[in-house]
Amino acid sequence: MTPALSIIEVSIGFSVAMTAAFAVLLVRRWLGERKAPLQREAEVSITRSYLRRVAGQADNEPRQGWTDQIRLAAVSHIHLLLRGGERDRLMQMAELDGLLDATLRGSRRWRTARRIDAIRMLQQFGSEACIARLREMMARDSSPNVRNEAAFALAATGALPPPRETIRILGMFERKPNRLDLALLRASAPHYPEQLQLLLEDEISSHWRAQLVDAIGWCEGPEVLPLLEHAARSDCAEVRCAAIRAAGRFGHPRAHRWILEALDDPAAIVRIQAANCCATLHIKAAVWRLKRLLDDDELWVRLRARHALDVLVDDWPSDETVVA
Amino acid sequence: MTAQFVLNAAVQTIVALALGCFVVVLIRNAISLAQLVTAAWVFATRIKPGKGTVELWQRYADIALPVSVIAPAYNEELTIVQSVKALLALEYPHHEVIVVNDGSKDDTIGALVRGFELEPYARTQIAVLQHTQVRQTYRSRRYPNLLVIDKENGRKADAVNTGIGFARTPLVCVIDADSIIEPDGLLRAAEPFMHDDGRLVAVGGTIRIANGCDIEGGSMRRIGVTREWVPRFQIVEYLRAFLTARVANAHSNTLLLISGAFGMFRRSVLLEIGGYRHDTVGEDLEVIVRVHRHMREARRDYAIEFVPDIVCWTEAPAALAGLKNQRARWQQGALETLQRHRRMICNPRYGRIGMFAMPQLVIEDVIGPPAELIGYVLIPAAALLGLLDPVAAVAFFGLSVIFGTGLSIGTLALEEVQLRRAPTARDLARIGAAALIENFGYRQVNMIYRLRGIRSFLRKETAWAAVPRVGFGKA
Repeated sequence: MTPALSIIEVSIGFSVAMTAAFAVLLVRRWLGERKAPLQREAEVSITRSYLRRVAGQADNEPRQGWTDQIRLAAVSHIHLLLRGGERDRLMQMAELDGLLDATLRGSRRWRTARRIDAIRMLQQFGSEACIARLREMMARDSSPNVRNEAAFALAATGALPPPRETIRILGMFERKPNRLDLALLRASAPHYPEQLQLLLEDEISSHWRAQLVDAIGWCEGPEVLPLLEHAARSDCAEVRCAAIRAAGRFGHPRAHRWILEALDDPAAIVRIQAANCCATLHIKAAVWRLKRLLDDDELWVRLRARHALDVLVDDWPSDETVVA
Repeated sequence: MTAQFVLNAAVQTIVALALGCFVVVLIRNAISLAQLVTAAWVFATRIKPGKGTVELWQRYADIALPVSVIAPAYNEELTIVQSVKALLALEYPHHEVIVVNDGSKDDTIGALVRGFELEPYARTQIAVLQHTQVRQTYRSRRYPNLLVIDKENGRKADAVNTGIGFARTPLVCVIDADSIIEPDGLLRAAEPFMHDDGRLVAVGGTIRIANGCDIEGGSMRRIGVTREWVPRFQIVEYLRAFLTARVANAHSNTLLLISGAFGMFRRSVLLEIGGYRHDTVGEDLEVIVRVHRHMREARRDYAIEFVPDIVCWTEAPAALAGLKNQRARWQQGALETLQRHRRMICNPRYGRIGMFAMPQLVIEDVIGPPAELIGYVLIPAAALLGLLDPVAAVAFFGLSVIFGTGLSIGTLALEEVQLRRAPTARDLARIGAAALIENFGYRQVNMIYRLRGIRSFLRKETAWAAVPRVGFGKA
């Protein structure tokens, strides 16, 4: 066969194959649309049934066409509408109906995307069994994406493992931090303040030290303030910034003194952070130092100082105000 | 020199040219097929956007990098207020909207002043990238995150540069004022920055055609598919461009274009390269090529990503006259970019951008359109004259038209499996019909428009031909 004939055959074959695939999808869509009213009816019926059962009423709904898939979709939808005890009861009912089993099976599928879909459902169920499976996936799944997604799900349900374990499982210290790592550390902070402090004693990069210091700002209780003050005197500007940011989150007056000192920090990013913090915490005592920063060499420092003065001083005549 | 010698030379030239056209079309189709297969793989293995991470970074809102949405506006008096309200209502923890009135001849600025209770306000410009004069900056008494800049006319690149110069956030999102952004478009486009460790400099997203959709108050009310053929053909083209070409290119780190209708950038990088160029009609392509060049020359590790989810809807020209201007401008812009950055082509110093992406651009935009058009005439003519096997002429037709149809239908099938944004089976069938027909006439007309772009480039024309649009809700 000549190359030209081969090209003709391949072109026609490819085009016919694609058209056939598209035709199948089109028919599938059309059939789906025809079945849609029945499916909607089933969804309404399932929703009514679950709401009755959650309220402790008798459930007489006919169960025709109730596939696991439709029931899971309905439970997902109702889950968003209920709160507190009612939501917990709904998830118990779903577990009793065997929907959790279907989700758990999904969490073992070979396709990463399917396992991640299952993680999202497990997060909604939120029962002990689900948390246990999420922990297992976070610790042992072969895909880093799945491990991360499981960690986010655990963080959202307040069940994240201690920070050292999270860091080890996700291999955090072996790479540069990203903003979602910081979110995970912050989610750990209220539950494990001492462990976060212990981590600071490890030999870690300044990037990670800064993330840990920032996360400590999300601990509850002022006992971490001395640690933040110590971090605010670190050699690394990034760590000093994180300490000021954390202090800004705390808002405790004991931190004001060293936040004010940071306005004279040699690093511009620290001065910027301190000016922002003064504005957030309404530290009036910062006004004269902020006025001095209006002549700073760095544009961004001047802008942030001006913004802070706008917040702290009534009728501050900055060039950022309304033109008469 | 005998007549026989001249005739032989002419025959050899015709045959060589015909084979050259054939090979170019073959390469283009092979690239498109590779892109379709890669995109199918990317979609099959991708993790669909979920609520988990978004929940987490909404809980700690300050970790979401603040974004300035820069919307250049020119003669948008009738729609600007609704468009800006839709931008202000986008889901995002911290975003500022910077509207740049680019010396509109109508009362765009008046509409903004009345619509948002604007008051004159002196805001420090961080960097001056524009070539024209800023007349006044305004802020709103009602919306603290709205800044309006009124400036002299200087075209889109100048207006965007003005906005970048006033932006104070780490990220800037450059859009067209008439783009309809999906409510969670900013969240989707910013998500890659949440996973990023500092390498990511820009993110593009999928743009769809809004013709036939119900748009109200600058927001999408109902997705639809127009009955008109020209916009429908463009739906197929956009699907091929965004769902296969850009997804595949982003997967291989060779993305060269982020659409001017929606792109998110690190502001610092745009400042480093001096913003958009004013002297090209293809500023969106040029800026990305320049980012690649800048980062590679500085030997910095970087990434440019693409979000396959739809982030934005835009109105396509409904008539061939508008399409002609648009396509000629795109072609001219591509050639200007290639000329300016010609030293990158096949230059190993620029890695896969120089060795793969730029040559691909050359095949797609310099050699491809004329080669295919010449092939349509030359190959059948050569076959008729007995210089080529007639089967070769049929093969050329099969490759350019039949195979092209297969690629379009394949892309549509991919969309249906993965995104399913055609609202009904009837709409899907309508797009399918367009995919079947577009290779029989529309594609060839488009090539002719691109030749006009080549002519404009050779003549060094700088005029910006307007693309007439019907406007949302009037179609």
